[in-house]
Amino acid sequence: METRADNPPNGRAAPESATAKKLGKQMEKVGHTAEQVWDRTRESFSDFGDTIDLKGRVSRNPYGTVAAAIGIGYVLGGGLFTPLTSRIVRLGVRIGLRLAVLPLLKQEMAEIVDSLEEDVGGGRGEAKGQASKRTRTRGEEP
Amino acid sequence: MEMTDKIEETAREIGARVRPQIEEARKRVSSMNDSAIAYIKENPGKCVVGAIAVGYLIGKLASRRG
Repeated sequence: METRADNPPNGRAAPESATAKKLGKQMEKVGHTAEQVWDRTRESFSDFGDTIDLKGRVSRNPYGTVAAAIGIGYVLGGGLFTPLTSRIVRLGVRIGLRLAVLPLLKQEMAEIVDSLEEDVGGGRGEAKGQASKRTRTRGEEP
Repeated sequence: MEMTDKIEETAREIGARVRPQIEEARKRVSSMNDSAIAYIKENPGKCVVGAIAVGYLIGKLASRRG
């Protein structure tokens, strides 16, 4: 059953319904475009996820990934050029030097000490030999 | 000699008393580590976003102080 509002007697119903139809079509278009945008965004996000392989990274090295994320946040928060960064870097360099250089130094020192001991031992041996020769020669003397 | 014997005995006693506690603490730390790793593996996105947020806050605080 048609109401007066749907089909008024003055004959203006046709243009109004046409605009309504146009509006409806445009709304449909907008909806379709929004759907497309959403799909593309989702696709690009899934591509991004595949590229960085977050799950794989986390399963391989969970603490490392979290530490890297903290670092990214720290840089984003503007903490890069601050005294705290310089302190952390200094501490890291110190620890790195201790871990990397000290064993090398120890090895070098041990080698030097070994060579010194050998030299001293050889010298003592030679000295002992000479001393015994001297005593022998003295004893042989009439 | 008696003094050293006494000291040795006391050290042994202390070691015997403390060793189980150390073992317990080690077990606890190990289980905590395991559960933390499991949680991170179950919720990687949450953990990464949370870590970025924490880092951001630390960076903000550091930049304010600096």
